[in-house]
Amino acid sequence: MARATTRRAKQKTKLDPITLAVLHKRFDAVTTKMANTLLRTGRSGVLNLARDFSTSVVTRECELLTGAESLPIHHLSGADLMARSMMDLHPNLKRGDAYLHNSPYHGCSHPADHTILVPVIDKRGEHQFTVWVKAHQADCGCSQPTTYMGHARDVYEEGALIFPPTKVQTNFEDNEDFINFCRMRIRVPEQWYGDYLAMIGAARIGEREVLAMGDEYGWETLHDFSKEWFDYSEKLMISAIRKLPTGEATTHSTHDPVPGTPDEGIPITAHVRIDNKKATIEVDLTDNPDAMPCGLNLSEACARTGAMIGVFNSIDDIVPTNAGSFRRVNVLIRDGSVAGGGKHPTSMSVATTNLADRVTNPVQRAFSKIQDGIGLAECGPIFPASMGVISGFDPRNDNEPFVNHLFLMVTGGAGAGKTDAWLTILHAGNAGMCFVDSIELDELHFPIYIKTRRLMPDTEGAGRTIGAPSGYCEYGPVGGGDLEVVYVSDGAVNASKGTLGGLNGAVCRNFLMREDGSLEDLPGCADIILKPGENVASYCTGGGGYGPPHERPVEKVREDVEEKWITRERAWKVYGVAIDDAGEVDMAKTRRRRKQLSGG
Amino acid sequence: MRFAVDTGGTFTDLVLEDNRGRLHMFKAPTTPQDPVEGILAAIEAAAEALSTSIGELLAQGELFIHGTTHATNAIVTGNTARTAFLTTKGHPDILVLREGGRMEPFNFLVPFPKPYVPRALTFEVPERMGADGSVYEPLDEAGVIAIIEELKEKEVEAVAVSLLWSTVNPQHEIGVGKLLKKHLKGVPFTLSHVLNPILREYRRASSTCIDASLKPLMSRYIGGLQERLKAAGFGGRLLMLTSKGGVMDADELADAPIHSVGSGPSMAPIAGRHFSRADAKAATAIVADTGGTTYDVSLVRRGEIPMSPETWLGQRYRGHILGFPSVDVKSIGAGGGSIAWVDEGGLLHVGPQSAGAEPGPACYGRGGTRPTLTDASLVLGHIDPDYFLGGAMTLDPSQAEKAISRDVAEPLGLSLQEAASAILRLATENMVGAIEEITIHQGIDPRGAVLIGGGGAAGLNSVAIAKRLGCQGLVIPEVGAALSAAGAMMSDLHADYRSMFFTITDRFDFKGANAILKSLGDRCRAFIKGPGKGAVESATEFYVEARYKHQIWEIDLGLPINRFRSKKDVERARAAFDEVHEEVFAFRDPSSEVEFVGWRAVARCKLRKGRLGRLVREAIHETTLPKRREAYFAGKGLVNARVAAFDAMKAGAAMRGPAIIESPFTTVVIDPGAKAERTRSGSLFITL
Repeated sequence: MARATTRRAKQKTKLDPITLAVLHKRFDAVTTKMANTLLRTGRSGVLNLARDFSTSVVTRECELLTGAESLPIHHLSGADLMARSMMDLHPNLKRGDAYLHNSPYHGCSHPADHTILVPVIDKRGEHQFTVWVKAHQADCGCSQPTTYMGHARDVYEEGALIFPPTKVQTNFEDNEDFINFCRMRIRVPEQWYGDYLAMIGAARIGEREVLAMGDEYGWETLHDFSKEWFDYSEKLMISAIRKLPTGEATTHSTHDPVPGTPDEGIPITAHVRIDNKKATIEVDLTDNPDAMPCGLNLSEACARTGAMIGVFNSIDDIVPTNAGSFRRVNVLIRDGSVAGGGKHPTSMSVATTNLADRVTNPVQRAFSKIQDGIGLAECGPIFPASMGVISGFDPRNDNEPFVNHLFLMVTGGAGAGKTDAWLTILHAGNAGMCFVDSIELDELHFPIYIKTRRLMPDTEGAGRTIGAPSGYCEYGPVGGGDLEVVYVSDGAVNASKGTLGGLNGAVCRNFLMREDGSLEDLPGCADIILKPGENVASYCTGGGGYGPPHERPVEKVREDVEEKWITRERAWKVYGVAIDDAGEVDMAKTRRRRKQLSGG
Repeated sequence: MRFAVDTGGTFTDLVLEDNRGRLHMFKAPTTPQDPVEGILAAIEAAAEALSTSIGELLAQGELFIHGTTHATNAIVTGNTARTAFLTTKGHPDILVLREGGRMEPFNFLVPFPKPYVPRALTFEVPERMGADGSVYEPLDEAGVIAIIEELKEKEVEAVAVSLLWSTVNPQHEIGVGKLLKKHLKGVPFTLSHVLNPILREYRRASSTCIDASLKPLMSRYIGGLQERLKAAGFGGRLLMLTSKGGVMDADELADAPIHSVGSGPSMAPIAGRHFSRADAKAATAIVADTGGTTYDVSLVRRGEIPMSPETWLGQRYRGHILGFPSVDVKSIGAGGGSIAWVDEGGLLHVGPQSAGAEPGPACYGRGGTRPTLTDASLVLGHIDPDYFLGGAMTLDPSQAEKAISRDVAEPLGLSLQEAASAILRLATENMVGAIEEITIHQGIDPRGAVLIGGGGAAGLNSVAIAKRLGCQGLVIPEVGAALSAAGAMMSDLHADYRSMFFTITDRFDFKGANAILKSLGDRCRAFIKGPGKGAVESATEFYVEARYKHQIWEIDLGLPINRFRSKKDVERARAAFDEVHEEVFAFRDPSSEVEFVGWRAVARCKLRKGRLGRLVREAIHETTLPKRREAYFAGKGLVNARVAAFDAMKAGAAMRGPAIIESPFTTVVIDPGAKAERTRSGSLFITL
């Protein structure tokens, strides 16, 4: 009898399924609304063109509740660490406060990712949730006009302004000292300030929405919801892991050398262990070198997130990514290591992209080694010059200074267990969530001329499912001024790896094109000044293929030829498919060739 | 006299407004092979009911408003023209790369979308304009002619031309257009700066390609319709529905058929808004249109017709962008014709396949053998086999029973009625899911909303849907069975003109801005005097797309003026911008200059005045219905349900479920526990 009563009481506090579903979507809608505000109001191209930002909601216990439509590398791990550090440094949170956080030493991804945290405080002054907005800045005060200081020896040479959680608004009003300070140390200060306003606006919209939900449903209902939602997510995670076999695999991926690294670059090792019975996944990153005197070191947030992206890319995608499902993933990091163990003043300027991808990629490839059909090959490494940071003075506009991060041409998608690459994945940590620049918008806003942007034939990562082909673009200054281009490119030496017999993706190549059309090789990591008439010519990396190319369905290969992705020669040589002059498949020849390719 | 005809997937609906303002409603099966045949059949049914001839009836018509899913269907089924895409040299992959973006970052099961026009039919035109409209590389006409030769060889049926910066300097597009006209006679083409002069090359190119791909098909269709209506005696004006919820002259639509994409369902929210105001005072109305093939839902909040600024054909980032705003309606494959089937694992499904109009449900006896939702309702006794469509069609219950027994009851080991009941329940769940997408998934609670049930099959399970969602109530309008056609009757004639012109508050170009406003105003005036002649009421509205300096997404700002006289006018516009910006985005930036980018003028001509009239009880539909009928309800079993005629119920009269309310167009099933009441506007208001 007593037991029955308890059970009934327990059921009473359980939310009805409609409320559970509504609240889940309402919280998602809060983050979407914040994201929309930022996209529509941001001033720099990296926000309003490329959408390089994220928004999320964290519980009062600092657990990630939702980050719908955010960039994976921005938020899987780190939301918790950042909210926690805000509370540690500012125990007395008040309505109207806003905090800026970009310190990789306190849970942020890297210094270019300015994050505005707003604690949601109810009428009685109690802290209920935290909303945050993280946006990659066009400039963050580094010693050179880029937010990616790959070669910086330490944070001092890097030069970025570092803000451990810093109060920037009190009672909804700006701290003017902070604004004045940034205006002196961040390039194109009006653009920065406009982006700052947009971030504050977005965070306040999120705050307003969550407060409205509190009024409507009551705070305790919202906290009950969080708990149930976490439990539900964990349950889905358990059943997703139970669909995988118990097993382990060790994989490696190497970042190209840059100044400050050994000549062979930075080798990353990941051990992945799946325990089907316990329903856990462990990613061990302890077997990696010490932090290095360069800007590529991973922050703790990026190392953890990099590993988790590899995991979530490889399991059933219906599992929500939040503190509930995270209970089943364990990422091991060694203190002092390049993969998330570095300490201040180690530079982590480029932590979200280059080396983070070198963590995600082997993890997702490890899954493919544990079972064919899951996981992915490696995505293409970035940043070629087609994604460089451009700066200068706009001769069309009274020599107004400008600085911006281009997202002109990057493909990089990897062949997956069951599908071809998502072409515009950008890089593993981005998952294709960013936009690709519009030629017209870039040419309108900056004094540049983009002569060519096209995808290159015969450059795909061949496989049963294929990796993205490489893309080419060519641009330079217009209007008579110079154009400075800075980039930190990985993938010129170490291509994205294919898996289970899939071939590697294309490497990246960057050139300076003189006025007469002659080409000059550019290094992986460069800061160049283009004179009028000069251009950069840049080939981005492609993604690796999954499975042997001769297992690719014949009809797909025929279509690839018809659509000019590959030539007939490549179809024959690599895929073993014979296509005649009329574009039809010669099945007899194809069977023979494929038998030969499969070693039969 | 006015005609409004909506060709749906299964039925063609006709609403006729006679010279005294009264409404008449008729239905005929849609004829997919030749949709005009179905239209003429509906008119013939009207002529018969009104004891006249089709010629005499059409001769009285001044307006003929037509909505069709022809364009949408062509895209969905891949039956558009073989279209070539002509782009600027060096930029062949605009339709492949799109604007990037993705949803569900961890989902690696969805393949990257294919371009709307294949790469094999994409051609690079040797030319290049700069952002300032200067010629970087002149148009190489010989190069274009060489491309045209290839187009001939590849037997291209339509051509889309979208060149970089044609919005600033259209000379190269115009040049290509001339060459196409001369060297590729008879092949229709679309130039991007004419169709949709907007920034962002992907959106403009996508619009242009979709439009061109529809031209051969839609000009054939519209030309044929005009000709046959004329031959049948119609001498009035043919208007076509657009995806913006308005109407356009048929010839104009044939020139820009993209405006027809998604136009079919765009009228339901307009009618739905009307009835939610008239019959229920709820702030939120869910408007559902249940046809034979699709279930279209939209959300009208505080009287606003929902518009989607970025319309995608299919899913966002996975489909193709239309490049124009449109009425926001979600469609799923569910309706009276949805087929019920059991999969190999023993799971029951209803839809998304539909038996359509041909062969139709099994009970139509036209060769359809698979069981549908309509068959289930017939087996349950909800539909009267002798009074389907007012007795215009006799149904064969034995065929329905046979199909359900064989395909559902036997495989699942259920009784016939249990099986039919399960089909109904599953169809209800599918429809509830569609509504949840536009409510719960957007964080909107459907529990405060009222459901407007339109479409011929709405009555079969709308009570169940409303109950399942916990809605406040359900409204079934008396013209609900032809909701879209009724909406078409209320829609306005509209024209939308755009121009790009850049100016900024600190260096405001009065001359330039005023010249643009004047030219837009002139075009609206010409429209109002031309196509809009005879309208009851006309208005021109001006808008400017504005943003803070360095922003790139604009806010649409209504301009209360048509000319900037002084700095004060600029300041006023700026202040209005600050206000809207703060309202939408929670902050303003008084320190920033404001940029004005796109200018737009809309001419709107009201074609009717006064409220929509009431539906006439046609003498031809007079009949005596039995007082009670045996019907099966889940949880209750077979009961003796009361039966009433929809049009005989007096205002204020109520009826409790289990009951069935019959009209010549639809059957409304009132589940046990629900109560239906006739409102003064003629609708049924059902509380649950």
